[in-house]
Amino acid sequence: MAGGASATAPSTYSPSPNQKKKPPLFKDGDLDWVRPDGREFHQCRPAFFRTGAVNAAAGSAYAEFGNTKVIVSVFGPRESKKAMMYSDMGRLNCNVSYTTFATAVRGQVLDQKESSSMLHKALEGAIRLETFPKTTVDVFALVLESGGSDLPVVISCASLALADAGIMLYDLVTAVSVSCLGPNLVIDPISEEESYQDGSLMITCMPSRYEVTQLTITGEWSSARINEAMQLCLDACSKLGKVMRSCLKEAASASEES
Amino acid sequence: MNGLSLGEKLFVQGGIAQDLRSDGRKRLTYRPIYVETGVIPQANGSARVRMGGTDVIASVKAEIGRPSPLQPNKGKVSIYVDCSPTAAPVFEGRGAEELSTELSVALQRCLLGGKSGAGAGIDLSSLIVVEGKVCWDLYIDGLVVSSDGNLLDALGAAIKAALSNTGIPRVHVAAEASGEDQPELDISDEEFLQFDTSEVPVIVTLTKVGRHYIVDATLDEESEMSSALSVSINRKGLICGLTKRGGAGLDPSVVLDMISVAKHVSEQLTDRLDSEISAAEAVEEE
Repeated sequence: MAGGASATAPSTYSPSPNQKKKPPLFKDGDLDWVRPDGREFHQCRPAFFRTGAVNAAAGSAYAEFGNTKVIVSVFGPRESKKAMMYSDMGRLNCNVSYTTFATAVRGQVLDQKESSSMLHKALEGAIRLETFPKTTVDVFALVLESGGSDLPVVISCASLALADAGIMLYDLVTAVSVSCLGPNLVIDPISEEESYQDGSLMITCMPSRYEVTQLTITGEWSSARINEAMQLCLDACSKLGKVMRSCLKEAASASEES
Repeated sequence: MNGLSLGEKLFVQGGIAQDLRSDGRKRLTYRPIYVETGVIPQANGSARVRMGGTDVIASVKAEIGRPSPLQPNKGKVSIYVDCSPTAAPVFEGRGAEELSTELSVALQRCLLGGKSGAGAGIDLSSLIVVEGKVCWDLYIDGLVVSSDGNLLDALGAAIKAALSNTGIPRVHVAAEASGEDQPELDISDEEFLQFDTSEVPVIVTLTKVGRHYIVDATLDEESEMSSALSVSINRKGLICGLTKRGGAGLDPSVVLDMISVAKHVSEQLTDRLDSEISAAEAVEEE
């Protein structure tokens, strides 16, 4: 178990700087370009996780990455709807919704269907569905505040909630995205950066198994750049995994003491 | 969904492992592609693409609209896919909804590029008529008539063909309206502007069965897949979009390998598709 010896939980998951130090790249020759929140290009926002946010749920988790705040609750496994056909595999039902005050413009229509299907695709590979036949696990995610990189945060938080609910998983699922802004790759973008991005890449992976469960790319990319962005994301993913793991351990030891 | 017996499953898997698939193809060979353009007279552009048992239609409709205030110098494009219940009984009612959304989202990601427009197959600024006031809205609709696997690649090809078949009427702005007024438009029904579709990427889906990947999987082969990667690649060899399907995880090095294989395959596919499209256009003009 990685990071087991460390007493203090790491709170951020920025990937290690590249072995060879590259000269700093700046957007369109603008030498003063800095990220709106003062981070470096390859620096992630501090990650905060708590399990057990909702009492009624079988498992739940709350995540806060800068201004992005997400709550995920997991219900089940419970009996599938009557209309469903018999299945000797369990079913996963995912739903992502946004509060009306999550975005700058109230009730701005975001594609919730798309996010829900992305969440499903990211998680299904990690869950041992054969351990709960005939039943359904519901994963409900609510974005309280949208501050950029919403989907990666939702996915990481959902896998933590699943673990909290005691659903059998192969591994935690961690997700990280990078935005391409001119010649720069910017990790863990905020909304403002996302609205100007030329392209984006999101990886969801199982860090201990080193497997990619979902990968999406938009914009124009060369192979070398994809490679660079993937390495960056995978490194951040494995670090994020450690943050999440320590959160689970903390919760477990706290419940033992009480 | 499509129930294969154990024997059939092993036959499909074994064939792929030996580079000789059930229909005699190699792993990286496409089925013959047939393209027909101008199949829907009501639309501004349309095309039908057949690959084996897969049959799809794409139509492009252009309507006058208002650009969004956030991007006053760009037109709008939307892509929707509909799966007809004639293709398979499971598409009846709400059954097709999940597949339709998945295909629509994948096509939007693969063809429309990033937020700033980088990597987009369609130059949105060419759709503007009067900046901030009038633009063309393109509605691209895909219809799955019959499904035998590899729907995404077929739809991507159909949309590319439909776009090259599309003529947008030339618009004359009568008098430059001042202030908030909408300018008066005169839409020509004789002069049409053609799209430059050389930048529209092609979509290559690699389906992983066992340790190997195949292109243009049939429905039987798709039922045996562990995961699939759809990559959209333009003529310059740059990746414009990528989506993964199927739950199983992939090793990152396998992902990179699949991307490079897809890139190689796309070169041949682009050439073949372009010649098919120009042949179809020639037939239509006769």
